[in-house]
Amino acid sequence: MATTTASLTITSSDLVGDALSLSASNTLHKAGTTTGLEQATGLTKTYLTAVTPIDLFGTILPSGSTGNVSTYEGKSHWIYISNKSEDETEYATITIGDKVIGRLYAGDFMWMPWDQATDALDGTTKHADIELAPSVATGMWFEHCMIHEGMKLPTSV
Amino acid sequence: MATTTATITINSTDLLTDELSLSTSSTLTAAGSNTTGLANTGGLARKTVVGAHGQYVLFDGDDYTAGSHKIYLKNLSTTAAEHFVIEINSEQMGKLYAGDWCFFPWEANASTNDIKIDPSANDMVLEYMLLSE
Repeated sequence: MATTTASLTITSSDLVGDALSLSASNTLHKAGTTTGLEQATGLTKTYLTAVTPIDLFGTILPSGSTGNVSTYEGKSHWIYISNKSEDETEYATITIGDKVIGRLYAGDFMWMPWDQATDALDGTTKHADIELAPSVATGMWFEHCMIHEGMKLPTSV
Repeated sequence: MATTTATITINSTDLLTDELSLSTSSTLTAAGSNTTGLANTGGLARKTVVGAHGQYVLFDGDDYTAGSHKIYLKNLSTTAAEHFVIEINSEQMGKLYAGDWCFFPWEANASTNDIKIDPSANDMVLEYMLLSE
């Protein structure tokens, strides 16, 4: 069993009268257990040259399935995305199931759980994929990875 | 201008053959600026969901204008199976199990863009903070 730890600190000496010094840390476990996550995509660096939204992390349904079936729905997946642009005006719009979460501006990062739940818009065959849309087509760098409990890979054709 | 810094570190010596040691820092600024820091916060807060558990609106999209807001959430439960379902604009994002935390941008780009939480049990405690423009 692997032990993977994610930690966050948020600090500020002047946001409020009392200095802010928040620290949080957790070990990444399989859903509802104390067993460590054992799979990862690896840290990926991507250069995108179009503003077209892409499926950064998509849900693939088992071959021949009918209806709303995903082998890994409800499992534990952790998503890390960082916008490596150095132009303060450049951002990426992050969505889940076509609903906007927020914008990652230059230098911003996010860390969120994802459980491949059924897409609320569709509810039958689609699942809530994580999408990313760059704000410019002149080229933007991103880093991303997923540490997870399992996911289906595309079948070769 | 306030200067607020967030740093994430992800470490593992045995997830992969090569040791994982990822660290990224970000100064939290307003949309499209690297000089104007996020100026508002509701402060670090805790909510105990007492009695019958159900879904709650934690942050209402109606209360904020679109911007580069940041949200921090942490499940303070110590029971492994207890979790909060996190939902954004009626779309399920994921589940925060005992001890889990998350940090993500929130655009609040529509009145429907609410952040909702749904605890799996009674008397669970969520720690949360919104940093906003």
